[in-house]
Order: sequence, then C-alpha cells, then structure tokens
Amino acid sequence: MSATVYYEPNKLPAGILALLVHSIFFALLYFGLNWNRHAYLPATMTVQLWSSLPDEVVAPPVIPKAEEVVPPPQPEKIVQPDIVIPEKKKPVPVPVEVPKPKPEIKKTAPKAAKVAKPKSDTPKLGKQNAEARRIAEQQAALQKAEQARQAEQAAAIGRVVDEYQAKIQAKIRRNIVMPPNVANDARAEFMVTLLPGGTVLNAVRLKSSGNTAYDDAVERAILKSDPLPLPPDATLFYRFRELDMVFKPTE
Amino acid sequence: MEVTQDLSFVHLVSNASVLVQLVLGLLLLVSLMSWWYIFLKMFAIRNEIRLTEEFEDAFWHNQNLNELYKYANSSSLRNQGALERIFAAGFVEFVKLKKQHGVEANAVMDGTRRAMRATYQREMDRLESHLAFLASVGSVSPYVGLFGTVWGIMNAFRGLANVGQATLAHVAPGIAEALVATAMGLFAAIPAVVAYNRYAHEINRLSTRFDSFTEEFSNVLQRQP
Repeated sequence: MSATVYYEPNKLPAGILALLVHSIFFALLYFGLNWNRHAYLPATMTVQLWSSLPDEVVAPPVIPKAEEVVPPPQPEKIVQPDIVIPEKKKPVPVPVEVPKPKPEIKKTAPKAAKVAKPKSDTPKLGKQNAEARRIAEQQAALQKAEQARQAEQAAAIGRVVDEYQAKIQAKIRRNIVMPPNVANDARAEFMVTLLPGGTVLNAVRLKSSGNTAYDDAVERAILKSDPLPLPPDATLFYRFRELDMVFKPTE
Repeated sequence: MEVTQDLSFVHLVSNASVLVQLVLGLLLLVSLMSWWYIFLKMFAIRNEIRLTEEFEDAFWHNQNLNELYKYANSSSLRNQGALERIFAAGFVEFVKLKKQHGVEANAVMDGTRRAMRATYQREMDRLESHLAFLASVGSVSPYVGLFGTVWGIMNAFRGLANVGQATLAHVAPGIAEALVATAMGLFAAIPAVVAYNRYAHEINRLSTRFDSFTEEFSNVLQRQP
C-alpha cells in the first residue's frame, strides 16, 4: 500500500491555465488603462483653454480696429456732395452758407483768405470758400479719426483691463473650495486691495452672501491667489489698485 | 503642465517606488501560485468526485468483495480514488485478522475500522493540501496590497508637500500607481477566497461520503461469515 506516493494530476495544465488567467488580467489592465488615458485627453484640452482663452479673446477685436479706421473716409465722401451742390447754386445760397463754415474753422480761414484775396472774382470766392470748407472738413475728419483712435486706445485699455479682471476672477475662482450647501443665488461682494506686482494687500467683504462658509471660502481663495495676474503695462495699475469683485457659486 | 500624462499600466508600475514594486512582485508571485493551486485542486477534486462515484457504483452493484478488491487494486495509481484505497485498506486488514484464529469478532471489526480510519485521514490530508495556502492568500494579500498602496500614497503626498500650488493632477499619478498594488492584492485574494470556500465545501461533502461508506462497509464486513 504505497499510500505516501500520491499522483498529483494535471500539474502542467494547471500551471498553463494560471499563466493564461494572469495574462488575460494584465491585458485587461493594460488596455483598460490605455483606454482611460485617451478619455483623459479632452479634459486636458479644456485645461489648456484656460490659459489660452484670454489671448484669443484679445486677438479678434484687433481686426475690427482696422475696419473701424476705414469708416472715417466715408463721412468725407458724404460731405463732398454737399459742397458740390452749393457750387451749382452760386448766386443765392452762397452768402447764406458762407458764415456757417467760418466760425467752425477760424484757424484755417486766414490761409483761405490769403489765397482768396488776389483773385477777386466772386464765383472764385465761392470756390475758395468751398475749398476752405473742404480743408476744414478734412481737418475735422482728421480730428474725428484722432478721437476715434483715442477711443480705440481707451477701448484697448478697457479690453486689457477686462481681460485681466477676468483672469483675476478666474484665478480666484479656481482656488475656491466650495463648502457644501451653498445656495445657487448666493452672491458675495469683496473689495480687494492690490499692491504693484499683484500682491494682495487685503480683501474686505462688502456684502455677505448670507452663507459665512462661502464668504470665508472666497476670502481664503483671494488670499491664496496671491499674487494676482496684472497687465504687463504698469501704467494700468491704477485700474487694479482697488477691485470690486462679485462671486457667485454658479459661475 | 500635465497635458500628456502617460497613465498606462506599464508606466504606472515602472514609475512606482521600489517598495511598491516589491509588493507588486510578491503579489504577482502569490497570485500565480494561488491560481496554479486553484486549477490543480479543481482537477484533483473533480477527479476525486468522479472516482468516488464510479467506485460507489461498483460497490453497490457487485456483492463479491474479492472481485471488488481486485477491481480496486487493478486500477492504476492515477485512477485509484480515495474511496478505493479506504476499501482496500479495510478489506486487507479484515482478511488478515480473519485468518488469525482466536481473534474475537469485535476485535476484527475494530482493527478493520482503525485501518480504514487511518487511510481516510491520509486521503483527507492529501485532498486538503494547499487549501491552507489559498486561505492565507485570501486573507493576507489584500493587506499586502494595502500596504503597498499606503506606502505609495505616502510618497505621493510627500512629493506634494514640495509643490507650492497643489492640484489634483500632482497627486493623481502617485495615487493611481499606489492603487495598482491594491488591485493586485484583490486580484490575488478574491479568487483564492472563492476557491477556498468552494473546495472546502466539496472536500467536506467528500469526507461525509467517505465516512458513511466506512460505516456501511463495516456493516457489510460484519455480516461476512
């Protein structure tokens, strides 16, 4: 009775099956995680948008600029026909219309007068007046263009200010750790005082949202966001010295 | 920043700390062994059940014990089930004791039972071999995996302390690679526990079968002239 000698059946098949199970498991793990990694990619794309979005917002308005510069010539074209009409109706309308341009362009009037005096013909006078008016109109147009340019500059500054305010808001909002049970219509208003360089001097709560946990979270986020992003142009800092900011949990 | 974080399995494991890798290696080894034993036991127990049924069939259809003994001994070692061995041990002992004159009937039966009991215990031991390994893999490997995970997360957070602005993206890869250890531990543990419970149950059933056969066979022997 050789009871001590046991035959253990199927040693090899068992080993092969064990290896098979493991290779299946690892294949599952490998491909499963690979699949997930592809799913992550869109998420990281949205993260990229955070930093690039403001720049893209700035870019489009630059094109309208060029388009807006073009319009000033249009008023000139419209003005010219007006001048042509008085030339045709020489006798009557000229005296009535002449006084009008004079007060407008007294500075340019002398030039026109000097040119006008040697040639004493009345129709020519009308023409000279018209020319003077044309010059005046052109200058007015130039002034308008300059004003428009200044407005453009102001708008550009406003845009930069808006962009950086949005960046500041975004940075702070990213740092807000949402407390639970915040009402969707909660609205906390803060005044943030900045130092040049973006350091947060202090954050004063102007209006509570009614939820102290949310207020505190916002305040902590403001202090945590130090330093805040400021435009590279230091002359714009006066716009950021004191910022009034509104925070809503839904944004 | 972490735009194209490679979170593939290979990357996670190769980037893990040495201890986590050690834990993973250990768990892989343990898992391989436990699966090997799972299949080994599966084949063994299935074989045992088949042989037991066959022999019980033969036993109840064949009233001649000598023929049965020949049948039990003729089969090769591979096809010899535990029940056949128990039967053979009991029958041999019974015949030996019967040949000796002056042995009381009770003493003959006691000797026969002892012989069957011994073979039964040896067979049970054979059947239950490696089951303890499955049980301990099932209970310990989750803890080993958890240890690797805790260690990995500790490392991840320690690295986080050096970063000024902490985001989830800084910790996520570390935690992911640490969690691989837990996954590995569970992968080793779950089949081991299931297999242990199943095999323990099946061996228990076999053991009651052997027990009742022993009793019935004793009765049959007692009736022998």
